[in-house]
Amino acid sequence: MISPEQYPVLIVVIPLLSAFIINVIGWFRKGFSYPLIVLSLIITFYLSVSTLLQVVDGGAISYRLGGWPPPFGIEYVIDHLNALVLVVISFVSLAAAVFSKESVKKELPDRIPQYYTLFILLVTGLLGMTITGDAFNLYVLIEIAALTSYALIAFGRDRALVSSFNYVIMGTVGASFYLLGVGHLYIMTGSLNMGDLLSILPAISGSRAIFVAFLLIIVGIWTKMAFFPLHGWLPNAYTYAPTATGVLVAPLMTKVSVYIMIRLMFSVFSADYVFNTLNVHDIIVWMAVAAIIGGSLLALTQTDFRRMLTYLIVAEVGYMVGGVWLANSAGITGAILHILNDALMTLCLFLVAGIIYHKTRGHHLDDIRGLYRKMPFTMAAFTVGALSMIGVPPTVGFFSKWYLILGAIDAGQWGFMAALIISSLINAVLFFKVIEVGYFEPMHGHHDDGHHEVTIDEAPFSMLAPLYVIAVSLIVVGIYTSSIITNIIAHAVPKGL
Amino acid sequence: MIWQIDLMVLTLIVFCAFSAVMVKDLLSAAIIFGAYSFLMCLLWTEMGAVDVAFTEAAVGAGVSTIFMIAAIFRTSRSVKHRSRGRRFYKLIGFFAAAVTGMVLLYGQSDFPGWADPNSPASSHLSPYFITHTISDTAVPNIVTSVLADYRGFDTMFETAVIFTAGIAVIFVLRQYRRDQTDVAGTDEVAYQSPIIQTVSRQMVPFIQLFALYVVAHGHHSPGGGFQGGVILGASFILVGLSYDLRSVLKKMGEGPNIIFGNLGVFLYAGIGAVCILLGANFLDYSVLSRILPATDSVMARSHGILGVEIGVAIAVMAIMIAIYVNISSHGKYDKGL
Repeated sequence: MISPEQYPVLIVVIPLLSAFIINVIGWFRKGFSYPLIVLSLIITFYLSVSTLLQVVDGGAISYRLGGWPPPFGIEYVIDHLNALVLVVISFVSLAAAVFSKESVKKELPDRIPQYYTLFILLVTGLLGMTITGDAFNLYVLIEIAALTSYALIAFGRDRALVSSFNYVIMGTVGASFYLLGVGHLYIMTGSLNMGDLLSILPAISGSRAIFVAFLLIIVGIWTKMAFFPLHGWLPNAYTYAPTATGVLVAPLMTKVSVYIMIRLMFSVFSADYVFNTLNVHDIIVWMAVAAIIGGSLLALTQTDFRRMLTYLIVAEVGYMVGGVWLANSAGITGAILHILNDALMTLCLFLVAGIIYHKTRGHHLDDIRGLYRKMPFTMAAFTVGALSMIGVPPTVGFFSKWYLILGAIDAGQWGFMAALIISSLINAVLFFKVIEVGYFEPMHGHHDDGHHEVTIDEAPFSMLAPLYVIAVSLIVVGIYTSSIITNIIAHAVPKGL
Repeated sequence: MIWQIDLMVLTLIVFCAFSAVMVKDLLSAAIIFGAYSFLMCLLWTEMGAVDVAFTEAAVGAGVSTIFMIAAIFRTSRSVKHRSRGRRFYKLIGFFAAAVTGMVLLYGQSDFPGWADPNSPASSHLSPYFITHTISDTAVPNIVTSVLADYRGFDTMFETAVIFTAGIAVIFVLRQYRRDQTDVAGTDEVAYQSPIIQTVSRQMVPFIQLFALYVVAHGHHSPGGGFQGGVILGASFILVGLSYDLRSVLKKMGEGPNIIFGNLGVFLYAGIGAVCILLGANFLDYSVLSRILPATDSVMARSHGILGVEIGVAIAVMAIMIAIYVNISSHGKYDKGL
């Protein structure tokens, strides 16, 4: 009944409408929230996969909201790049939603419907940010994604409220910078449509106001993606967040921000402006080197498993930003591939951290002792994720790192190449430390505070199933990397680099 | 534009901004913020952006000041000092603000002149909206036709932002398990002035009537769903302030309020979805002429705009009430402030 032409908008509207349904039905029956969210995310996943296939077959799709032609109305533009990111978002959020069942029941028993409403609104925001072809529409959806993630993080444990408040301040500063930048663009061009901006901007590329607009937008997005040294809010916020929030937010938020950076660089300002007129990419690649080394070293000093992962996210953001600013096709291919790969790897590791917290009530390295014996399935999946993070060949982590290193060699950025290799070595040290603790050190009383001994056994099916799907996909996606690159990513890299 | 007035208002705005940051008493800071918003509202009016000024007056100067005051009542009125490292953070903040200010000034040098009719913002898209709004949508107020039709998708998500904020406040603040110690504290009767109560009670129906007028007349004059919804919500907040929270909850219980909040945004997105079911694109109201009696595709757009404005008003009203109730009662839904 509904033609495939409508799929692009339905990708965003289905989760939005189900937010209200979940909220109202959840008010009467809490138990319905979980099946409803899983159902609507399955539909969204189906829609985004079939949109990706449409794009692969027939090229970019444009969808006119309200039937108005661009630049007068708002336009959705789906090309190879964001079709891929849409699939990543809907896949990761589906896995996170399936996983969340037990942990939400345990950690937030009173607020299940509100939690799932915010959860699916966050997914709506991320999907809408990715799919849009309008610079101001992007801002509105950044607001939705930001507001929901502040709230979802705030109800965690320990210092979650303070970390969420820090995140509110930093996130609002980032969003305001972005809005100011879009304001500058509107004053100078009179347009908000990305394609229209791309055609107007070359004529006034020497303008100071356009340079300031670019600066504001890029710094705003860097704040949002926690690019070193603007990363201060991320580790605490992601460490203390409720388990299900961490599983959703950690793999997606930074990656979607990287996508937004790529989109604005190439679809609003053009590769020519960003790389030739501005000529700042050397500095930014060195900043990325600082992010990679800084994030990895800080991860090395952590004794808490989940906190260690959050610092690795900071390092991975450096991979992607550096890859894009290498300004050659291998580097950009590597960065785009890493959006997909890092989302999967981070999801895998956060799922493991979530399961460990669910069973042991902690995610300190001490809590991992002896878990290989108690939870063999979880820890086997963890090993796959860890190998991928280090960059061992059949897993996805190897391939994006390979392209990034090729790009670094092409651009002659030896510092960036060295940073990638050092970071892989540090990851190896880190994860082998975790594996050693989990495999060889004997288990002893977890939090034996005299009340009761926690018995630790394998995780429930609703947690293991998504973990295994992700762990297997880490290898499958790795094997099919070359076809993903030739069919999808090769079309997303700007021409003439 | 009259540059003397501009200069005066802008000076006062800068003064308010500085004093809101410097003042130690948070209640004063909140009031200064209210004054700041009101001055911004004057500035918008003077620039001819009456719709924005209306929103600023209702949201910035009105409701958000009340939210801040309620939050201060429920937390603490004074800034607590942490001496260590404070100066260092202040220095970083000052440095960041100064650099940002300089960058902005650097960029301004290329801007087109104030109110220049040849500037890109006035010459690229605006002429289309000005010449086509009547023939496309039959709505004389261009702000309304841009807001609810040409860029109606943005407005739908702006409403969703308000909804998200409300759900976030409920999620974080609502307390479901009753704490015995707190219940005892709320039994004391706060001082209630009969003069304020009587005057407020007389005012509420007129405020609500005005709000409905603002919603319904948005097609022809400044106003629309956002402003009308905020004013409707404010009439409930007035009852909460002059009586107590229980009188608000008697009129608008927690359950109905949540349902109203959902229903409002659902109405907006639902009208969009109906357009898809009728075979057009999302939010393409012109296709509604098939189900509305005696309507051509232009009037269908006009009616579609009215429909979504009503949705916005319902959602904004419910969310304003929900935020006020949760902040002022700490999520306990008791007597309130």
